[in-house]
Amino acid sequence: MSGLLGMLSLASRALDAQRYGLDVVGQNIANVNTPGYSKRVAEFAAVPSTDRWSAGGGVEIVGARAMRDRLVDRRVRDEYSGQQRENTVSQHLGVIEVSVGTPGASLDAALDGFFDAFATLADTPTSATARQEVVLQGEALGKAFADVASQLTGARHDADQQVRATVTQINEVTARIASLNAQLSGTSASTPEGAHLRDEVNRAVEELAGYVQINAIELANGGFDIDFASGRPLVIGERSYALTTTEDANGFARISAGGADVTGLIAQGSLGGVLHVRDVMLPDYLARLDQVAFDIVGEVNALHQAGFDANGDPGQVFFTPMPLAGAASTMAVNPALTAAGGGALVAASGMAGVPGETSVARALAALRDQPITNGGLASPSEAWGQLVYRVGRDRAAARASEGTQAEVLRQLQNLQDGVSGVSLDEEAADMLRFQRGYEANARFFTTVNQMLDTLIGMMR
Amino acid sequence: MRVTFDMAFRNGLADINRAADVFQRAQREVSSGKRLHAPSDDPSATAEVIGEYSEQRRLDSYAKASDSVASRLAVADSVLSDAILRIQDAQVRAAAANNSFLPQSQRDALALEVEGIRDALLTAINQQFRGTYLFSGEQLTTPPYQRDALGVIGPYQGNAGSQRIDVDRTRSIAVTFDGSAVMGDLFDSLDQLATAVRAGNTAGPGFTVSDGLARLGEAFDRATTMQSRVGAALNDVDEQQARLAEVKRASVVRRSALEEANMAEAITRMQQADTALQAALAAVSKSSRPSLLDYLT
Repeated sequence: MSGLLGMLSLASRALDAQRYGLDVVGQNIANVNTPGYSKRVAEFAAVPSTDRWSAGGGVEIVGARAMRDRLVDRRVRDEYSGQQRENTVSQHLGVIEVSVGTPGASLDAALDGFFDAFATLADTPTSATARQEVVLQGEALGKAFADVASQLTGARHDADQQVRATVTQINEVTARIASLNAQLSGTSASTPEGAHLRDEVNRAVEELAGYVQINAIELANGGFDIDFASGRPLVIGERSYALTTTEDANGFARISAGGADVTGLIAQGSLGGVLHVRDVMLPDYLARLDQVAFDIVGEVNALHQAGFDANGDPGQVFFTPMPLAGAASTMAVNPALTAAGGGALVAASGMAGVPGETSVARALAALRDQPITNGGLASPSEAWGQLVYRVGRDRAAARASEGTQAEVLRQLQNLQDGVSGVSLDEEAADMLRFQRGYEANARFFTTVNQMLDTLIGMMR
Repeated sequence: MRVTFDMAFRNGLADINRAADVFQRAQREVSSGKRLHAPSDDPSATAEVIGEYSEQRRLDSYAKASDSVASRLAVADSVLSDAILRIQDAQVRAAAANNSFLPQSQRDALALEVEGIRDALLTAINQQFRGTYLFSGEQLTTPPYQRDALGVIGPYQGNAGSQRIDVDRTRSIAVTFDGSAVMGDLFDSLDQLATAVRAGNTAGPGFTVSDGLARLGEAFDRATTMQSRVGAALNDVDEQQARLAEVKRASVVRRSALEEANMAEAITRMQQADTALQAALAAVSKSSRPSLLDYLT
């Protein structure tokens, strides 16, 4: 009698187990599109027999295990850092490349206009209009340089804003991870709560990896200790360490971790990308632009000062001399020349009082072909072409490498999905499995019940 | 490997995006007719295009200078033609006056004509082009010759140089000339010739009509020499203009090859990309592939 009743309770536990299995399938299917959800597998164990008159205690539910491969998760995180860096660089350069304009309608047009004006002056040295035109074109050239410089500087400030915003996001995510770590301590991976928290913390760590390259060490309880930039801690156990920003002399944010400046140590992730744009690429473009402006001003002034103006006086400086740093943004025609009647101060002649001796105007017009910039290697328009080439090449390289990284990331995500993702076919098969299991156990229950009926009938 | 729902979806989406990107680029190329829209489309071609634009602007500048040179030389040429005609006129008058049988009235008339020719030559040599003198050398704003208070034509006031205009990187052409190289002492000689004609001085002593004829002959030689130089320069400019146009055409061809889309090729590429995009879309829409769920009832 006790054997049969025991079998009844065994059958009811088995029905529970099959129902639990179906429950897990339902949960998996429900979360087929939930980001960060890892497929759960119902885990059962056979209960061994306690005496020789029984075959066993049936089945017990151990729990639902979340399917994860730590190694693949880690590789996805690392690759995600790289992909986000290239993506960020590519996006910023996309904006910067627009600011250099189209060929024939950008700084190169202003350069040509400036030298053309001197050619016209060499043609008609006694024309007040031609003199005025030289001054106007000089001003236009200064403005064109300043425009490009201000676009590039503006892009630097945009990048700086993103640096600050990203630091805030990093601090928010690390605080979230620390809090998840706290909740995870004391939960088991096979409880629904534990599995859910693990999914959450893994998602948060992946998000963090998109901002900055990290070294994440998974703890036994499923939480993470995270450091970055040569071992500086971001999260240890239940504590997170916030990054702080200070401003440098130019008003750009520097990033500190635990009091040490780590700005130069961050290479990957969207933060690494935007720092590279702000601190390496844009300063390089600006320095090149400054060099071209500085060289043109130097050469033009030297020639202009060797000449004589319409009054027969020695030529003054044409452009106001300025230091190399920031030359492009401050390039301006000597105010004496832009004042009313200043056109007469334009020096076209190489001999005082001989207007038809136009060697100076001709030499100034010929500067367009002279290798006067980039250390005597490039003409002004060539130097501009080289700068445009550099911006275009950097963007094309970032775009190509972003494409490659995205492809690698996709493959890794496929691998990750192969472990953690929900396959509807598999879930359908499982559904069938648990349904059949339930049916068989129900039949077993009925059979035992009928046997009990038989036994009770014997007693009538 | 397990194939999951997400995986099929992610791969399909990536393929669609890639095909759509290729199609969008090809379409933009066809609709704009341009191959380069941003430096990153082809960085080195962009740098070359900047070079070609600059080259064209330079050639335009030289072409403009050549036009200006040509019009000045044409004016100088006509001034010299005029001067040569006048000198020949003077020679005819002097030859007519070079006999001792002429009555005084005719000698006076011839002398007046010689003086008229002198004045016409003064006007010719003082010819301006857009406000500058062509025969004052580099002294563009100073007239070559001027009368003093007594009406006597003074010495040459220009210099021996020439305003030069660049018509190419290494080539310049003179557009103003040394007036004294044409005139020499012609004005003085014409004054003396008029005096000799009036006085009927055909045999000396002093400045005779024959002396005047000799001076006129020298002036004629100088003016024709100068004119042939101007003519040669005019030919030069003509050739230069043709050459500049040729070089610019070549530069335009290079630029357009770099910058502009090859339409036939771009359209073919667009059609290929379109086909690829359609295929990707169709493939992904099929990825609601048969699932085990379809067979369970």
